[in-house]
Amino acid sequence: MTLTIESPPVADPASAPDTPARTQRRRPRIGMWFGITWLGGLVFCIVFASVLPFIRLYDTKIRVGGKAGRYNLGPGWTAWLGTDSSSHDVFARCIYGARVTLTVGVLSTVIGLVVGGLLGIASGYFQGWTDRVGSIITDSLLALPPLLLALLLVYRMDDLKDVYSWLGWLDRQWEITLTLGILAIAPFARIARAQTIALRDREFVLAARSLGAKSGRVIAREILPNLIPAMLTVAVTGLGILVAAEGALAFLGLGVERPLTWGKMISDGQRDLARAWWATIFPCLFLFLTVISFNLIGDQLARRFDIREAAI
Amino acid sequence: MAGTGTAHLRSASDALLRVENLVVEFPVGRTGLKVNAVSGISLDVLRGETLGLVGESGCGKSTTGRAIMQLPRPTSGSVMFEGKELTSMGGDTMREARTRMQMIFQDPISSLNPRRKVRDIVMEPLTIWGRGSKSQRNDQVDRVLDEVGIDPQRAAESQPHQFSGGQCQRISIARSLVLDPSMIICDEPVSALDVSVQAQVLNLLEDLKQRYGLTLVFIAHDLAVVKNISDRVAVMYLGKICEVAGSDELYRAPAHHYTNVLLSSIPVPDPSVAVKRHPIEGEPPSPVFPPSGCRFNTRCPAAQERCSAEEPLLREIGDGHFVACHYPVHGGDAPVTVRSSSN
Repeated sequence: MTLTIESPPVADPASAPDTPARTQRRRPRIGMWFGITWLGGLVFCIVFASVLPFIRLYDTKIRVGGKAGRYNLGPGWTAWLGTDSSSHDVFARCIYGARVTLTVGVLSTVIGLVVGGLLGIASGYFQGWTDRVGSIITDSLLALPPLLLALLLVYRMDDLKDVYSWLGWLDRQWEITLTLGILAIAPFARIARAQTIALRDREFVLAARSLGAKSGRVIAREILPNLIPAMLTVAVTGLGILVAAEGALAFLGLGVERPLTWGKMISDGQRDLARAWWATIFPCLFLFLTVISFNLIGDQLARRFDIREAAI
Repeated sequence: MAGTGTAHLRSASDALLRVENLVVEFPVGRTGLKVNAVSGISLDVLRGETLGLVGESGCGKSTTGRAIMQLPRPTSGSVMFEGKELTSMGGDTMREARTRMQMIFQDPISSLNPRRKVRDIVMEPLTIWGRGSKSQRNDQVDRVLDEVGIDPQRAAESQPHQFSGGQCQRISIARSLVLDPSMIICDEPVSALDVSVQAQVLNLLEDLKQRYGLTLVFIAHDLAVVKNISDRVAVMYLGKICEVAGSDELYRAPAHHYTNVLLSSIPVPDPSVAVKRHPIEGEPPSPVFPPSGCRFNTRCPAAQERCSAEEPLLREIGDGHFVACHYPVHGGDAPVTVRSSSN
């Protein structure tokens, strides 16, 4: 009689509990790497657009049989993403459009981050009257419909430019940047304020004050370094929103006229969507991929800083 | 437990810190009500002395400590420190005066900025006040870190979360020492630590106290800890002082019913010791609506009519033993024989 002892299948204790955790961690990382790759590639193309051989100048016309024509080429080898109504290369225009779109997005985010951040920190740290004034400003900004406010601001700046000659530098691109920056102040201020309130009661802030640090130093040395992760995360996500908002403004005819932006390309091409889908869909795709890249990176940053905050 | 009164204060010239009728109130939203966190307490600490401040959570111990630091400033009352009145000081004089007293907090990790290097945290006080040259600062920080048992090399490149709780508390102590203060307010410095680490940190505080000639105000809810480290103990309940006595005297013969209850709540790790229990019921009343008369009368086993009508004043019942009670426990009825530790 043989006795076989079947050992029950033993799960490898080391690998078994790890697996779900690993997939959980890895999935968003793919997203983040996709985002970084996309944005990195885009920025590379933007910076070296004039020297890269495969990117035409944005106003180079592609002639087919010696003639330039409306939408004369679909996506293909000659013009990867086809040509638009003036037989410009859509791919080249997407890259050059990104230049303006991203500049506007980044600058307006910086405006929102700096102004909103300072406002929020002051509100949260000093409280009392400072907080009341700060809250009134942010609440008012949030109470107005953003699109309406943007339209008003851009038109108003147009008028002001006619009245005051020293505003000559204020071209359309700056108008859009300032407008989007102003719209971004309130959300940044809110987040900075909430974070500051949470931090100011931490004991290390009290310790710094008991050491004789002045308010400015406490803010710069104790509060600000702890705000940066959260603000950075919000800024990246906000950048995506602002890039999309720029597209929306351009679509409504408030775009940057020259050279061009994605929003303007979409608004120009959409009339002929049935005839030449590529002239509209590809700028949309660029916009979509860029916004989603910012969001994926922002999510990953949020996750990462949350973990660190919890570990501390 | 009213504990108003200043009978227990010693001559003002001897005291390093003298707090009189300290009141701290916080508004409750916009209701017009207020939290009576601290309601007129008086304390004094002689140079080189350790004053223990005990009481249950929410009785105003920490608020008292912070009010002494003027963070935030008390509602009323006087705080004399090194012969100077702090409550009337302006901003910059106050900042300067604060460097002579320092504070150590309960949560060792929260009291260090997570985003800075430990060495910079310890050097911060010197940087703020621009003391010494760069190399002098470095030397002093290294010396102090070494004294509290932290490797200066490691501190230079590590952040607080890379240290354990006990080590973080040592770092906090080092930070409070670099300005060479005369008094340190320890706000529950060991209650967040493991028992084994508690002893180490307490011993360190004792050592440093000797070496630097420090005066300590030691705030805690752990009576055993306070007993060993304090010369004098003040018991607080609901924003008032109930009893002040020398450490041994208080534990041997508590006169206030609240002290009695508090002491009987110390667990004794020896089943053969007979513990006389003094049960207490309910929660402390809300500091928004404190009881009239003696604040302990709602829970006191010996409360009589007078207790809810008339607030008892602190009075001397023995040598250096003061109690704020109309009907104190007689004859030093110690609930537990807390054996005096061998040291």
